[in-house]
Amino acid sequence: MPCERAQTTQAYLDGELDAAAALEHESHIQSCAECTALREEFETVRKLLRDEATYHRADARLRARIRTALDKETKGSNILPFIPRARAVWTGVASGAAASALAASLAFFLLMPAEGDPLISDITDAHLRSIASEHLIDVESTDRHTVKPWLATHADLSPPVADFSKQGFKLIGGRVDFLEGQRAAVTVYRHGAHIVNVFAWADYDEQLPDFATRNGYHIVFWKSGNLTFCAISDTAVDDILILSRLLKGLSQTDARE
Amino acid sequence: MDDRRRQFEAQALPHLDAAINLARWLTRSNADADDVVQDAMMRAWRAFDGFRGGDIRPWLLAIVRNCWRTSMGDRKRRGHVALPDENTQLTGEELTYSGPSPESSAIRSDEGRKLDLVIAKLPDEFREVLILREMEDLSYREIALVTDVPIGTVMSRLARARAMLREKWMGEVEKEARDAL
Repeated sequence: MPCERAQTTQAYLDGELDAAAALEHESHIQSCAECTALREEFETVRKLLRDEATYHRADARLRARIRTALDKETKGSNILPFIPRARAVWTGVASGAAASALAASLAFFLLMPAEGDPLISDITDAHLRSIASEHLIDVESTDRHTVKPWLATHADLSPPVADFSKQGFKLIGGRVDFLEGQRAAVTVYRHGAHIVNVFAWADYDEQLPDFATRNGYHIVFWKSGNLTFCAISDTAVDDILILSRLLKGLSQTDARE
Repeated sequence: MDDRRRQFEAQALPHLDAAINLARWLTRSNADADDVVQDAMMRAWRAFDGFRGGDIRPWLLAIVRNCWRTSMGDRKRRGHVALPDENTQLTGEELTYSGPSPESSAIRSDEGRKLDLVIAKLPDEFREVLILREMEDLSYREIALVTDVPIGTVMSRLARARAMLREKWMGEVEKEARDAL
């Protein structure tokens, strides 16, 4: 016979009860065999769905399809109709003075004729945004054991992370960003006066150049395991290559562990 | 890019994973899911002025679900698909479900594939509440909005869906144990 309070038990387990009702109901479950069994069932099902069933994600092709469809829709109503594609994805974090500076730099980018890989524009925009706004770092730490798990939890990605202070690249933290609407894990390094953003995202077999330069920012791409990486900074391109080599070495060490 | 477009992309595109996840689990077909999501994003774009703040995810997922129902209606009328319902005995071959997405397929266990199939075979109204609650972490109120039923119905469907999934999964596990003997 199911307990007549079974539905309340489910609501409690789903976090739908207020604190007082939850407290009261917890003691009911402990004294009720049916509700205890229900809790076990609830936990089994939750684990299956959250940890073991497939969570589908949008791939680059679908994202591109949607942007193309949006472009068609916005044709004619666009303020700047000669710009072929939308680029900058605002995260809505900029405010006040930073926002004005950002708006100015963004306007600059929007007025530039689009050229080359749209991903490069997205990365450059994301880099600029991170520097101009206060949204450079979500988790501030020089400890890889803090940054790496944080990225695994928040970006669902686990790129190699280490502090390379001895080699001149100080780890200062990490954040989650969006490239073409897709989640990317970002590790942030300081090299002298320069910030280096290292983006990592799930690989979709994109064709990428090894290097690119856009508006004075140097960009280095590489792939490792099932992740694509991109380091961007206004520091010398040779310095970015040093960091990319260090991270590639770390990927190999991680893979052996 | 105008301001409206920028706002739409910033708010809606981060939820594209949630949209495709729901669509794949509803349609059980990668190609159909892509069509449903594209259709949904265009409708969301046209209706964006009517969206008045708050959490955009349930709003977007409701549109995804409506587009799926519309597309199903179209197919049904054209006689393309035999729709599974509670009385249909489904075998694996009848499902168009095409397996895990590429990023997770590399090391995908047999176990996981079997589980996906068990979930895919649940009747629509039970499968959708499970996906919305457990994968998208929506509240009862939000699930009621997305599925367009009262909260009480959400609760009873969730309870049945959980019992069904557990029973079918346990059946699968036992069958495997028997086969192993």
